[in-house]
Amino acid sequence: MFIDKSMTKNVISVGPDTPVSEARELLAKHKIRHLPVVDEEMKVIGIITDRDIRTALPSPFLAEDETRRGIERFERLLAKDVMTRNPVTITPFNTLEDAILLMQKMRVGAFPVVDHEGKLKGILSIRDLMRAFINVLGIEEPGCLFCIVVEDKVGQMKRIVDCITEEHISFGSILVARHWEEGKRAVFPYLLTSNAALVKRKLKSAGFELLDPLEWTLDQNPTSDE
Amino acid sequence: MKKTGFLYDERFLLHKTGPGHPECPDRLEAIYKGLEEARLLPKLVTIQASRAKQRWVEAVHTPRHLIRFEEACMLHLPEYGCPDNQMCPETFDIAMLAVGGVLKMVDCLMEGKIDNGFCAVRPPGHHAEVSQALGFCYFNNVAIAARYCQLKWGVEKVGIVDFDVHHGNGTQHIFEQDPTVFYYSIHEHPSFSFPGTGREFETGTGAGEGFTLNSPVLPGQGDKEYKEILQRDLMPAFESFKPDVILVSAGFDAHEDDDMSDIRLTTECFTWIIQRILQMAEKHSQGRLISVLEGGYSLERLPELVVNHVRVLMGEAEWMG
Repeated sequence: MFIDKSMTKNVISVGPDTPVSEARELLAKHKIRHLPVVDEEMKVIGIITDRDIRTALPSPFLAEDETRRGIERFERLLAKDVMTRNPVTITPFNTLEDAILLMQKMRVGAFPVVDHEGKLKGILSIRDLMRAFINVLGIEEPGCLFCIVVEDKVGQMKRIVDCITEEHISFGSILVARHWEEGKRAVFPYLLTSNAALVKRKLKSAGFELLDPLEWTLDQNPTSDE
Repeated sequence: MKKTGFLYDERFLLHKTGPGHPECPDRLEAIYKGLEEARLLPKLVTIQASRAKQRWVEAVHTPRHLIRFEEACMLHLPEYGCPDNQMCPETFDIAMLAVGGVLKMVDCLMEGKIDNGFCAVRPPGHHAEVSQALGFCYFNNVAIAARYCQLKWGVEKVGIVDFDVHHGNGTQHIFEQDPTVFYYSIHEHPSFSFPGTGREFETGTGAGEGFTLNSPVLPGQGDKEYKEILQRDLMPAFESFKPDVILVSAGFDAHEDDDMSDIRLTTECFTWIIQRILQMAEKHSQGRLISVLEGGYSLERLPELVVNHVRVLMGEAEWMG
């Protein structure tokens, strides 16, 4: 799952000498939060976020004359004055997994995607990852989610899949929560059926334990903040 | 006492879904028997179904959907649209008949022959999309009836209340851009139930923004939450929309004894719900209300649920709360 399959290719960027006020309008107009800053060779030299722009604006709590002076100053600012230099970038041949883990580690919301010469090829934001995640969940197709608690041993998934396939029901997705209670796994099949009663009956009669929906979680540590 | 229409036709039993299928002919037989044993049938205005004219079905569905569905039946295919929609060669005709029956009920209502009515039909309709059969549904009976009210009878604003435990994705999608049809649905939260739509932030699109309203309810909740939510969401919405006619997608599968969901309504709450909807109809819509069967799979509970529902429509005093 390479980045170039999920990134936004028509990326909007600015030059270092673009007025910040113009950058602000671009963000608002396109409903985006990140603007890569590139030099004349399209090499990425910085990034401007909506937060950089808010910080450059005068506080709304200032007196009138101070605000006026602040705005005058803001209007003279250029992209290079407010941008974050040398932002974290990734390449089209990094993977979605790289991007998710790096976002988690660096606590940023988007990466400019650059080729081996550092030239801008696209941008990958948390929204692109969410779109991919929605697709993986399969929830844009009509269906119904279940949660089965199984022992952590080989062959459990086969039993579940066989059991459901016997009823000629297709899978929209299937997720496994890794860190469940000790020795257990939680399996979440998203099934493309409206016949929930049938699925529950079938799974129970096959000896599976169905978890109460109020106990469902995909997180590693459901009780960590208690 | 009100003149309440009752649509039932033995031919609705001819839509066979195969052994073990929850949307089975026994549902309607149980309902009919329940009304018979409660001695309500002589007090109701019986309405016989007749086949819908294709043009009215096509007021909602694409010609392609009709052709493919009819072909699937002619070829004796075991299903159409999705594997849940198991059927038999008669299914297309019966689905046309169900629509036709509901439209006849609309005629009777608009001609003043009845005050309100209940349609005991199969197959159900609220999951059916413009061009897609889904969730045991083929034609969207209620959506077609809403369009028919507008096109044939010049009704301006139709309010739809859907209390089936599943979200009526079809009805919502058909009307989500339309400010003249208000779609309200209360159902089990889509993260825990079919079909996975009907979140509270789905509120209509374009000109229809604000004319769709969804109340998802968490698994395990029951009468108390339903009553609170309906008073909080549905009633103010219809108070300002002021529908000229109210159509009800009456699904009885949120009952605690129905194993299709984890919502736990008692029999009493279903009576309360239709009482409130009827009161809204009396306040805003000159009492004009047609209720159409959707889901509800507990053969033990369906008779009492529908008997109570119909008694409320008839205005039998002790059922008016």
